[in-house]
Amino acid sequence: MKRISTFFILTLAALSCLAGPIMAKETVVVYTSLENEEVVEYIKQAKEELPDLDIQAIRLSTGELGARILAEKNNPQADCVWGWAVTNLEEFVPRKMIKPYKPAGWDKIPAHFKDPGGNWTAIDLYAAAFVINTKTIEKKKLPTPKGWKDLLNPAYKDKLIMPNPASSGTGFLQVASLLEMFDPDYKSKPVEENNAWDFLKKLDANMGQYIKSGSKPAKLTAAGEYAIGCSFAYVYSSLKKKGFPVAMVLPEEGAGFELEANALLEGARHEAAAKKFLDWAISKSAMNGYAKFKLGVTYPGIPGPADMPALDTIKLAPMDFPWQSKNRSKILEVWSNLFLH
Amino acid sequence: MNSQQRQDTTLKDYTVSSARMEFDKFIVPTVTLFILALLFFFMLFPLWMILKLSFFKGGVLALDNFTLSHFKQYFTTAYTLRSLWHSLYISGFTTLIVTVLIFFFAYALTRTTIANKTFFKNIIMMPLVAPSIVQALALIYLFGRNGLITSHFFETDWNIYGATGIIVSEVLYCLPHAFVILFTTLSAVDIRLDEAAESLGASPFKVFTKITLPSAKYGIISAAALTFNLTITDFGNPVVIGGNYSVLATEIYAQVTNLYRFDLGATISIILLIPSLGAFMLNYYISRKSFSMISGAARPFIPPTRPLKKFLYSSFCYTVALSIILIFATVIIGSFVKTWPYDWSLTLEHYKFPSIGGYSALWTSLWISLIVGVVGSFVTLVAAYAMETRRPYLKQIVYFFSVMPAAIPGLVMGLGYILAFNKPYYWFYGTPWIVVINIVICNFTLGILSSITNLKNIDPSIEEASISLGGDTLSTFFKIIFPLSRVAFIQNFTYFFMRSMTTISAVIFLVSATVHLAAIEIIMLDNDGWTASANAMCTCIIAIVFVMLGLLHLFNKRVGNDAQNTSLINP
Repeated sequence: MKRISTFFILTLAALSCLAGPIMAKETVVVYTSLENEEVVEYIKQAKEELPDLDIQAIRLSTGELGARILAEKNNPQADCVWGWAVTNLEEFVPRKMIKPYKPAGWDKIPAHFKDPGGNWTAIDLYAAAFVINTKTIEKKKLPTPKGWKDLLNPAYKDKLIMPNPASSGTGFLQVASLLEMFDPDYKSKPVEENNAWDFLKKLDANMGQYIKSGSKPAKLTAAGEYAIGCSFAYVYSSLKKKGFPVAMVLPEEGAGFELEANALLEGARHEAAAKKFLDWAISKSAMNGYAKFKLGVTYPGIPGPADMPALDTIKLAPMDFPWQSKNRSKILEVWSNLFLH
Repeated sequence: MNSQQRQDTTLKDYTVSSARMEFDKFIVPTVTLFILALLFFFMLFPLWMILKLSFFKGGVLALDNFTLSHFKQYFTTAYTLRSLWHSLYISGFTTLIVTVLIFFFAYALTRTTIANKTFFKNIIMMPLVAPSIVQALALIYLFGRNGLITSHFFETDWNIYGATGIIVSEVLYCLPHAFVILFTTLSAVDIRLDEAAESLGASPFKVFTKITLPSAKYGIISAAALTFNLTITDFGNPVVIGGNYSVLATEIYAQVTNLYRFDLGATISIILLIPSLGAFMLNYYISRKSFSMISGAARPFIPPTRPLKKFLYSSFCYTVALSIILIFATVIIGSFVKTWPYDWSLTLEHYKFPSIGGYSALWTSLWISLIVGVVGSFVTLVAAYAMETRRPYLKQIVYFFSVMPAAIPGLVMGLGYILAFNKPYYWFYGTPWIVVINIVICNFTLGILSSITNLKNIDPSIEEASISLGGDTLSTFFKIIFPLSRVAFIQNFTYFFMRSMTTISAVIFLVSATVHLAAIEIIMLDNDGWTASANAMCTCIIAIVFVMLGLLHLFNKRVGNDAQNTSLINP
């Protein structure tokens, strides 16, 4: 009996631990889909520079984040989103789930990187890239691809991997860029009649796997599971630094890209704190932090990482964000019907 | 004078206890109604929300909102419908393999004289201490495209992703669950029947098919039903090793998180609920029947096994045990080496978790699991006592709803919790409490079953003695039943603790910015391609569970000795 009561005392102790020490700090709840690896660094920096904020964050994939705030629509748990794909963010503006807010320093961000109404402000741009395992390419005597069209080479059968556009923002921007580049008339016809689907069907014959996350194709390629991973640029530099035998190719047709943006959520419980956080999140100091990872940040005059090509030397695909955003569900539906089995 | 005084006291005592008796009458009904309310609110209400969302447009209950369009969409869309066939195929195959493997394994441990039985018994239970993802992680390291065995020993392009991978991982995951059932069955069946048949001249094959198998048939069906249920509802293994091979559980997650289709997610939940409820009902029906098969005259003596048979069974058991050890060794070693399988130098770098949760997730998991352990075992004990008491109230109904959670897939329950409790007035949403409640409810079944078994083992005369000496229900419970249930309490605590540390599917929708859980971190790390760190997190969970098991074992031994000394528990 005595021991049992010890048990209960332990539980009570556990309960009080859960309740946590009473914080004098202001809480802000942040949802982000920035990569785990980078976001850990940014949060460290944010905690130093915003000592009076208690930053509670969760990292979710692009799709998971959308589902989460949608589910919590009537009882929002998060105060703001940080580094979330603009294509997805745009979908939530007409749903009245975003509260316009122009953070301090908003004027410094170039106009094409922000919503004129202040619904969202982009912090960075990331671009699609192929990550190649040089060892595997050598061992299996495979050619190095220059662009998407080269990937149709039958020699690559089952050695390619790309993200599932339904769950990964990277996967979506790749598919969207192809729909826009391979069919100049994409705007005037229904999504399912786009010419790029034929290309994607041929690509499917070579594809080893469609995977949930956008960085995983690069990581699995680096680990030797595949020869070529369709992923995005900055994972490459992080893998290269770790010593993996990898090389990067930006597709010659044009690299699809996506903006990652911040926004204040309607119904935020800690609006004042969230605003402080959002102000910080587009400050020069925060942007310098992002620039250690990102291909390009939106704050003018901050160069990207030294080991990646400068942004202005890259041929980018002409991304049509409003069209993508409007047709996102349809694109995913057509894609899922064709390629999920 | 003296006697007068004495009489007064007894009279006074009597009146007091009668008032207490009045109060006592209400205790069992109150407790019962409380348990029922708990189950209705935290189990049926979320399910009802799912049902509503799948059958009514926008989840609004109205006659003209009724629709079957979600179901139509599910069954007419090729890629979503596939997940149903995949699930049935995977679960069917796994069930077959597990039942056959475990039957012979349990047979070897109960009917032959092979050595190292304790070792085998311990090893087969090992999968319980890890999240149902450890098998998939290890299999990828061993048989993936760049697996140690596939790519480096055999240099083949074959790999385990997809259906094969899911089946193998599920088999390894289900072994302990099926083993418990078949081991109990085979231990309980009277072995003398076999001996009698043998001495009457039946061939060993005939004895096996005509006596051994039929006598264990309920156990076999029950183990098969349980395996089927566990496999079809599992989320962790398919999500890691399935590749593009979708099953119902992963399809629910994909519909909700990728396409924001909560209605389709709810619809698929209902579709998943049908086979899992079916398997559960079968198990429920069978387990009631099988008690009659257990003979009181069963005895433990086993005649010496013939050398060849002994050798075959021994090697078979070693193969199974070594496979399980291999899985755990791979994950643990994989978390300490630099780059599997190229660079075997040891490193701790994978233990610097590149995620927001990191070590705080492990602590949160630990605290939550301790609370789940205490709350879960206490609530199930109280519920069991209310059912087993002299004057139970609504016993059958409570029993039915108490065992029902086992049939509800964790992911479905999690989705239901979002739909039901994501309202401003449910203060516990987004706090650790919703996670605690969810895990307790999801694992209610086993807790209640073992509490009932335990209470049945307590000699009713002790309780009678307590009552006739004037003890009321409350004091009988706290002074007699609770102390006598310590061993069972600790067992239940262990079970709830382990489940809470390792569960994935139930809580994946419930983790939040303030509540990060270690088991979910594994999924997220793996999903981002940090496989070695995912292994490291797995290793941490396994280590915590093992330490806790060790502590409880020591504790249990002392409590167990006490209980034996008082010898109040029926053998």
